[in-house]
Amino acid sequence: MSQPDVAVVGGGLIGRCLAWRVSRCGARVALYDSADSQGMNSAAWAAAGMIAPTTEVIDSDAQISSMGANSLKLWPQWLAELPIPVFYRDNGTLLLWHVEDTGEAARAQSMLTSRQSQLCVRYLEGSQVADVEPELGSRFPRALYVPAEAQVDNRGFLKAVGLALEEAGVESHWETAIDDSNRPDAGIVVDCRGMGAKSDLRSLRGVRGEIVRLHAPEIQLSHMLRLLHPRYPVYVVPRSEGQLVVGATAFESDDRSPASVRGILELLTSAYSIIPALAEARILEFNTQVRPALPNNQPAILFDPERRILRLNGLYRHGFLLTPTIVEEVLGLLSGRSSGRWPCLNVNCSVASFGLLNTSAEMQKW
Amino acid sequence: MKEPQMEDQLNLYGQGFSSRLLLGTSRYDSPSLLADAISAADPAMLTVSLRRQISGSKESGQSFWNLIRESQRAILPNTAGCFNAREAVKTACMARELFETNFVKLEVIGDEVNLQPDPFGLVEAAVELVKLGFYVLPYCTEDWILCRRLIDAGCMVLMPWAAPIGTGQGPRNPRALRELRERASQITLIVDAGIGLPSHACQVMEWGFDGVLLNTAVSRALDPVRMASAFTGAIRSGRSAFLAGPMSAQETAVASTPQIGRPFTFDSHHAAHLARETQSAGKVGT
Repeated sequence: MSQPDVAVVGGGLIGRCLAWRVSRCGARVALYDSADSQGMNSAAWAAAGMIAPTTEVIDSDAQISSMGANSLKLWPQWLAELPIPVFYRDNGTLLLWHVEDTGEAARAQSMLTSRQSQLCVRYLEGSQVADVEPELGSRFPRALYVPAEAQVDNRGFLKAVGLALEEAGVESHWETAIDDSNRPDAGIVVDCRGMGAKSDLRSLRGVRGEIVRLHAPEIQLSHMLRLLHPRYPVYVVPRSEGQLVVGATAFESDDRSPASVRGILELLTSAYSIIPALAEARILEFNTQVRPALPNNQPAILFDPERRILRLNGLYRHGFLLTPTIVEEVLGLLSGRSSGRWPCLNVNCSVASFGLLNTSAEMQKW
Repeated sequence: MKEPQMEDQLNLYGQGFSSRLLLGTSRYDSPSLLADAISAADPAMLTVSLRRQISGSKESGQSFWNLIRESQRAILPNTAGCFNAREAVKTACMARELFETNFVKLEVIGDEVNLQPDPFGLVEAAVELVKLGFYVLPYCTEDWILCRRLIDAGCMVLMPWAAPIGTGQGPRNPRALRELRERASQITLIVDAGIGLPSHACQVMEWGFDGVLLNTAVSRALDPVRMASAFTGAIRSGRSAFLAGPMSAQETAVASTPQIGRPFTFDSHHAAHLARETQSAGKVGT
């Protein structure tokens, strides 16, 4: 068997998406992951699947937001190309705060204003809050509404891409750990291992997050909710079939041990303060994962010319927000062009590095 | 012989620091932003929370710890999140092992909502930690009796609040803070918590406080790096003003240059004012 054009190592969110998109371009792809095809060990398995470019501005760089806005356009196209339907909802986020935390809301608003996202935000007052989200009743006299944000069922999506890989005939090697000793032969190796690449990326660190999944069919939420709070910020994301995702804590640690009592108390207390009816919800699971992050909490595309490895890493808590944009950018790079639109990706290679791949006829289509 | 000019240093348990700012490391958007803020602030020490920021074993938080260490600043671990003396002592011991320092910012919290110090637990923990050889920097209120008990326990540095943590209100009780400064004249006093603006920091430094500890005021500013240097400037200014010995405030305008032909300014308003002053002070007019 001849060697593949591209070998993707790491089949979490970005790895499997890249393998899928590369295969659609007609190139020969092989995918390797130390776990099975479900992706249960990936950060994406625990994630809430939010695509919230405006809201993220409050705590992230403005470029993360513009990459996210670009992803928001790509998501519906990607989902339409999958073999099975995946839950996706794009009716926006409500930002809420308790009266005592008006200072947090003021800060959020100035962040949104200074980073030029205020156009996408509506200020709601009085009955307007309940008009948008009746389940909140009159508990919140004020809120900020960000209409153009979305969420995708993270696990459904991982599964659908897994099926798409099978359909496309991508050579998938599940339960196969890759390190320097058994690096696959390919035109190029793309390392998407996240925390698995720790020994090769010195500045990579883990940020532990805890998350809760609840079942509460009687709670009729239709928007993503985010509570602005100085100590216990929380999001509540309503999914299909009465499921809710409540997250997420953040600790500077790559500890993957089960969720802590403190973390869960903080999350659930905060969520309960938004919707007291959550007291009757059933706890489906507590989950812990570690987000791979670089020192600036921004993603990077790093090329190691000696070993011909392209490393994609540092998606931090922005996996679903950034993956389509980064994958499209990498497709461009592999075909010998870069959009140059996202300086924060820190692409450290010139597109000429990938001249080899250009010679294949299929690659011309990229 | 003229004494060589001694550098004005912050003295913490015999250790000298050229900066009088202590900086907290939580709630920055990213470690890089924190690193930039540290460069701009040039702090004497960095506070790190063992419980809140780092979870799990020593190894699992190693990456963040390395990033902090790369800044080459002295580390001041804190006992944030502890609600009684026992927990605080245990956390301090863990921190000493992890960060290899005897310094500890002692927090014993009495109220979950405003994170107000628990004076009773604080004294209890301070007594224990001093016995264990720690250099204790207790986060306390401005209450004089509490401060005296902490000094009796062996604390050589006290860190009274300006206002509750994270409020950014500035000194809530200026009179009590200034009184504390006068009475605890031999103790290093650092204002910790509640500072929101560089002017607040400058103010307490003018009053003779030895330093300022900040976190939220920098990390939650829209531009933390710029705010960090704003605070550094303010703290230096306030310190210089204190050392320079401020003039005494006067009730009325006093011209700094004599007006030729008018050795005494004596308009009717001024005369009436002086008369009132003299009367109320019970002085005999000359």
